[in-house]
Amino acid sequence: MAELVHHFLETSAGKAAGKTALLNGENTSTYQEIESLADKVSSLLLDSGLSKGDRVLMIMENSLESVASYYGILKAGCVCVEVPDKSTLSEAAYFIENSGARMCILSKGSARRLSDIDIEFVLSPEASFSRKNLTVYTWDDVYGRNDEPGRAQIKEDDLAAIVYTSGSTGRPKGVMLSHKNLCTNTASIVSYLGLTESDRIMAVLPFYYVYGKTLLNTHFMVGGSVVINNRFAFPNSVIKDMVDKEVTGFAGVPSTFAILLNRSIFAKTRIKTLRYVTQAGGAMAPALTRRLLEHIGSASLYIMYGATEASARLTYLPPQRLINDKLGSIGIPIPNVEISIRDNEGNQLAPFEVGNICATGDNIMQGYWQDKDETDKVLKPWGLVTGDLGHVDEEGFIYLTGRKKEMLKIGGERVSPKEIEDAITDSQMVHEVAVVGRADEFLSEVPDAFIVPLDDKSFELDSLKSFVKQKLSVHKQPKYWNILKSLPKKPSGKIDKGVLKQ
Amino acid sequence: MSDIQTTIIDFIKENFIMGRSDTKIDAEESLIESGIMDSTGVLELVEFLESTFNIQVEDEELVPENLETIKNIIEFLKTKGVS
Repeated sequence: MAELVHHFLETSAGKAAGKTALLNGENTSTYQEIESLADKVSSLLLDSGLSKGDRVLMIMENSLESVASYYGILKAGCVCVEVPDKSTLSEAAYFIENSGARMCILSKGSARRLSDIDIEFVLSPEASFSRKNLTVYTWDDVYGRNDEPGRAQIKEDDLAAIVYTSGSTGRPKGVMLSHKNLCTNTASIVSYLGLTESDRIMAVLPFYYVYGKTLLNTHFMVGGSVVINNRFAFPNSVIKDMVDKEVTGFAGVPSTFAILLNRSIFAKTRIKTLRYVTQAGGAMAPALTRRLLEHIGSASLYIMYGATEASARLTYLPPQRLINDKLGSIGIPIPNVEISIRDNEGNQLAPFEVGNICATGDNIMQGYWQDKDETDKVLKPWGLVTGDLGHVDEEGFIYLTGRKKEMLKIGGERVSPKEIEDAITDSQMVHEVAVVGRADEFLSEVPDAFIVPLDDKSFELDSLKSFVKQKLSVHKQPKYWNILKSLPKKPSGKIDKGVLKQ
Repeated sequence: MSDIQTTIIDFIKENFIMGRSDTKIDAEESLIESGIMDSTGVLELVEFLESTFNIQVEDEELVPENLETIKNIIEFLKTKGVS
């Protein structure tokens, strides 16, 4: 087994240098081409004075450059901090400040939007940034370099990535994942999906999201190939791409499948090469699962469950059991993971008793970046406390029964209501605010905001919306707004969100 | 600018880019690549076109050639008898 994450790329480049590793539209890249570009990124980082353990922020859509940057950062011994490519300037500023990143790698879209970014080094397709103290490299600088192998001494317990996830306390927390965490989880996924070098996955999920990243790492581990398509906004073009490029696998969150089944040619199209489909990122309604099964023909459907804190994956439901008798279950632990259901004191519960879903294994995170208090809340002597509630049946199949934290799950991504409430409060236009989740056909959940204006007469909802749009990414912006005279309260004085959800 | 174009731009401004002063809408620029719309945005736009212009958009018609830019949308509406 590979000991370090970038060994996936290096080993496959060694075994099958000329094999196509990435396909993106009309462009293809071989393992050797990606390996060479990753080496150039790595040498650029080290020549710039970055050293082992330094954080490098990536704000990129999926692309050849984003893949080469990821493995190049790891080759240099640096820590990859990958965040959504649609991040706003204020979100980027938070990620830079919190992670202490010295360099930021941008793609075309994010570079245009973040031209006021404040950081030591930038690597970007464009060179137009407003701050004078930035050192800007372009991709021409990278391509023009001589290949040099990475010089850093890296161990499997060294930190490889910080992945931000929203916490109940508001601002996103950085999940620290070591090389060992990621390599263990990748090998487990490869094993239960039975992936080989003949597999070719359609990746519409972003690589900054841990589920998306598993698509890249698992296929690079086995020497398979990855099709990048960032245009799921037009699902029909993705479906045609799947047929044309003869993919064997597809991965999505519930909203992906809702769109495919409700508003695309998916149901009418036969993708002959499709061997399997995976679904994770939130519970999918059983009705949608049944419809998906009807339309994927002989391909296997894997329902899966996981957490950023677990590198990605914790459980999977064997496809035959989904069809036979376990619809509604998130399955059994993946290899190298143990799951237990426990009470708040850590006592293990009997089958069918509902409690905290807890997990142990080499894939469990090192903790939250510079946040011992939050780490201590979830890493207990008996394992990671996921924050999800559930039970097991007599055979050990796990069922989710709810979420302990009040996190929203928007299109597969966890979002803290408090982060949205805080942004609204920052406007100084509201007296009180509460955000709850509202069921949504496509995104599972969307934010529903209840506000009490500070001054009824001068308050303009459009001004508040404009303010919030500058602060938060699109998916975090409330879809529904309700203006109230006051918010319902519990006897303790806390806002009663249960009433608002009704 | 035609009434139809104004109606579509107003909808996009109202729903997707309100408050983002940095975003301009060019009739020939991709609404996806510019970051104005995502996958659910396209579906919201289609619902709007269906209800506003009283047309039916088939699943097969949800392709970039019909919906990627303002110009494409106007051409697409013409094929539906809206002009």
